[in-house]
Parts: sequence; C-alpha cells; structure tokens
Amino acid sequence: MKHKDKKTLEFKPKRLKDKLSGIMNFSDYRKIHNRIIYSLFIILLVFFVLVALVPIIWLFITSFKTIQEINSTKYQLFPEVFDITKIFKVWEKMNLLRYYGNTLIVVIGSIICSVIFNGLLAYVIGVIKPVGHKIIHVMVLLGYMIPSALSIVPLFMEITKVGMINSYLPLCLTFGANAYYYMLLKNSFEKTPKSFIEAARIDGLGDIKIFFKVVIPLNKSIIGVVAIFTMTASYCDFLLPKLVLQNEDLATIMVYIYNLGTMTTPTFDTSDFLLLLVISMIPQIILFIIFQKQILGGATAGGVKE
Amino acid sequence: MEDKKKKKLKSKIKRNVVGWLIMLPTLILFTFFVWYPLVKNIIISFFDTYDMNNFVFLQNYQDVFKDDYFISAFVNTFKYILWSIIIGFFIPMIVGLFLSEIIHFKGFFRVAIYIPCMLSGIAVVFLFQNIYGDEAYSILNVIRSLFGMERMDFRSNADIVIPLIVVAMTWKGFGGTSLIYMSNFQDIDTNLYEASRIDGASPMQRFFKITLPLMKPTILTLLILQIISVFQVFYEPMIIAGQTATSAMSLMQLSYYYFTKMEDTKSAATSVILALIIIIITIIYFTIVNKLNNSKEKSK
Repeated sequence: MKHKDKKTLEFKPKRLKDKLSGIMNFSDYRKIHNRIIYSLFIILLVFFVLVALVPIIWLFITSFKTIQEINSTKYQLFPEVFDITKIFKVWEKMNLLRYYGNTLIVVIGSIICSVIFNGLLAYVIGVIKPVGHKIIHVMVLLGYMIPSALSIVPLFMEITKVGMINSYLPLCLTFGANAYYYMLLKNSFEKTPKSFIEAARIDGLGDIKIFFKVVIPLNKSIIGVVAIFTMTASYCDFLLPKLVLQNEDLATIMVYIYNLGTMTTPTFDTSDFLLLLVISMIPQIILFIIFQKQILGGATAGGVKE
Repeated sequence: MEDKKKKKLKSKIKRNVVGWLIMLPTLILFTFFVWYPLVKNIIISFFDTYDMNNFVFLQNYQDVFKDDYFISAFVNTFKYILWSIIIGFFIPMIVGLFLSEIIHFKGFFRVAIYIPCMLSGIAVVFLFQNIYGDEAYSILNVIRSLFGMERMDFRSNADIVIPLIVVAMTWKGFGGTSLIYMSNFQDIDTNLYEASRIDGASPMQRFFKITLPLMKPTILTLLILQIISVFQVFYEPMIIAGQTATSAMSLMQLSYYYFTKMEDTKSAATSVILALIIIIITIIYFTIVNKLNNSKEKSK
C-alpha cells in the first residue's frame, strides 16, 4: 500500500527549475557550474548507453557480412550489401524452426510449472499456514542461499536414474522449485484480503478452487511478473538443458548455440553463427520492449531494501 | 460447548491435512531439485564412486588439492574477485547515482542500459568471444591495427584474459545493479537534503555526508552479492579462454571439468570446497560489518 501512495504523490518534473528531490534541486541549478555538472551526468550516461549498445550493434552489422567480407584483411565496418533476407536463409539452413519449437515447449512448460507449483506453496505457507510452515519456509530459503550449480552432479545422476534424460519434463519442473519466485508470490498472497478467502470458503469452495478462482485473479500482476521472469530465465537456461538434452534434435536454442560454438571443426560460416546470435537475441529484446514496466519494476523491487 | 470445541479441532486438523496435501507436490520438487542433490553432493564427496561403494573420507579432497588445475583455479578465483571489484563495482554505483539525479530522458537511459541484462549468458559470451578473438573481424584487433599494432589473440593471453572476462560479465550485469542503486538513491528522504541545504552544505558535502552514509548498507550488500556471484563464474572462462586453459579456469569450471571426465566424486569435492569458501567469506564479511557498526554506535 505504501508503495502505491508514493507513486501517486510522485511528481515528475520536466525542467530543472521544477526539480525538488535528489541531491541537487532547483535551487542548486540556479548556479551555472551545477548545470555544467548536470550536463556532464547526461554525457556520461550517453557514454554508458553506448557501451551497452555498441557490442550488440556491432554484432548486428557484422552478422550481415558475407564470409569473404568477414575474413578479408581490409576491414570495413559495414557490409557491402545489407541483405535482410539473410535472416530467413540462415533460419532455413540451420533448421531453426525445430530449435525454436523445442525452446517454446520448454518455456511454456516452465511458466506453467513455475506459477502453479511455487504458487501453491506460497498459498499454503502464506494463507493456510499449517503446522510446520515456518520450517518449510526456512528450508526453502536456505536452498536459495546455496548456488544450485553446486549440486549439478547428483541432480544429473538422479534425473538419469528416473529416466528423464532427453525429456523436457525436468527442465520445466525445475522452475517449480524456485525460492525467489516463491518469495515474490508469498509476499503478494499474504496481502490478499482475508475476507475474500473466507467468503469463498463459506460458499463451500475447497482450497484448490480458492487458489485458482480467488487468489490467482486477485494477484494477477505479481503472477505476470513471475511468468515473465520464468520466461526469460527458461529461454536463457543452459547448463541443465545441455546435460539433459543429449539428443541434438531435441536441443533448445541456447544448447544449439553452445553445440555449434564449441565445435572443433566448424561446419558453418562465422557470419551465419553471428547472425544466429542476433536471432537468439531478438525475442528477448522484443519481450523487454513489451514488458519493460514489469521487468524494470521487478529488477528494482527484487533488490536490497535494508 | 464440547461439541463446538470438537468441531473447531476437526476443522483445524482438516486445514492442516489439506495444507500439507496441497504443498506436497512442490515439496517433492524442492526435494528432487534442491535439497536432495545438495546433501547427496556433500555425502558422495567422501566416497570413491557415486554409488558409494567405499568410504574414503578425505581422499577426494587430497586428490583435488594435489591437482595442478586446482591450484591455478584457486588462485584465479581471487584474481576474478580483485578484477571484478576494480572493473565492476564502481560503475553501477555511478550510473545509479546519475540515473537518480537526472530528469531528462530518464526512461530511455534506464531501458537502454538494461538491455544487456536481458540477453542470455551464452549468447553474450559468444559475442565477446568474437570481439576478443584474433580473426580479421574481431573488433579489438581491428582497433589495434588502426594504431599500427599487430594482431593478437587476447583469449590465450594469460595476463589479460581474466580482466577481459570480467569486462564481459560487467557489461552483461551492470544495468541491473545500476537500477537497484538508482531506486535506493531515490529512496533517500528529500527532507534530509533540504535540511542540509538550509545549513549551507554544498552538493559535494551533501553527497559525502548524507548520501554515502545512508547508502552504506546497500553498497555493502551488493558488494558481497557481487563477490558470491563472481565465485560461480563458469561458462564465461570455459568459452572465452577454453575448456582446460589454466589461465582463466575457475573452481566451478574445474568441478564441471571433473564431471565431464566422469570423476563425479572429485567434482563433488570441488564444489563442496567452493561452497565452503563462499560461506567462510560471507561469515568473515558480516562479522567485519557488524564490528564496524558496533564500534560506531559505541563512539556515539
């Protein structure tokens, strides 16, 4: 609630004359040297934006060169012809439809597992609170402190034992056991008005039905955030998919990139590989532009608050 | 009366049973993916094979300590931390401060700086592998040739490969950290600045006397988080420097290397050592921070 109040009160100044908050406000900007410092801030930020974007732009430009252009000793920044259809040619040549299809299955499965399993746990611990819920809460958080990559050997062995090698199931299910998403959901579920849940219970709804019909609709925004986070995490996930998907036809796009990139005798053009990197980045950048409010909000809210 | 109590008890029991039933599937997932592998990892590090045929106690650890790879990986870990503090610690702080102070194009700056964070680690590592490479199109060598210098393979140069990997990691991560700094800078109470302004403090004084002390907890927490994440650097050196290049090998990478060689128990031992180092550093860190805070309170 506090957060919301702050938002409505927040005043976004358009000119330095109106700036009220921060280390320097309007009165400081009456002095000319502070204005110079301010423009320095802007210039430096532009520099950092360039640092962030130039490698991506370089990759984009270079990936459209032909193999001759790439290997020629006379360097030219831009390709001679900018052939946008190269994307489709590479798409066909590398059979990317298959790998993107695989990735799509994994991503959708991960989102479903992530929302439902973490959500149910968050609902039980945050709302029902049965005996022992505090112990479970602490155990979940302890698992979060210790990096998961440290236990990759037993995890891989157990997955092999239960026969889930070359299956997408473990890749999706692993997102159902995520302490961070659990915390996000629990914090939000706890704020759900008790009266709604009680009313549903009096109407004779069971807990599972309450979860799907009352809690989820009331917490749409946080579930959206968890879904978006899971989507990017699952799309970028690499280590576990690489170990589990040993059949190369089943590879997700990141595993495919790794398999190609670490080949000892490459069977493809370097420029095609660079273009593949570009193609793998496009969905993420598009998603970011669509969901930037949720993603940036999550990026700052997930941070330290002490 | 009795009846009511009974009913209450009954509904309480029912609530507990239903609650546990609902969270059971998730608990199974946590057991399978998180808790069991963690415990099993520690246990098998004391055995000779994954199936735990013979208890060998510290044999695996001794083998790992004797391995030349381990020694270089151990030393490299501290090189990584040093470089990541030099390269990656101050930039997000500065960017976060600037972002919190400016009012023009704020949305644009935020989005643009965050874009590298959205990209997948693997794609970014291959991007930097191509930037640092010795091919004709690799941009670092193109710049070198502009100044008339010879082409050079940065990736196999042991002196600079670690800083270069840290640059790639920083490039990918600085946007997110900057935004955390930004929101914490913005959370500082404006009234404090107002009061100091009345007292005639300059912006510089305000920054050092108000902003920095208030930001200390954030800065310290982000520093330890950064150190912990640097410990787990893994596929960056594996791809940029090479699978078995000792010049940049990290402990995590060594653990994976043993794993690919089917030496599971040695791999487990390496990751236990790594986890222990992380835990010890975290404990030392927080004792120091607590001591500093206590001595300050006493002096007050």
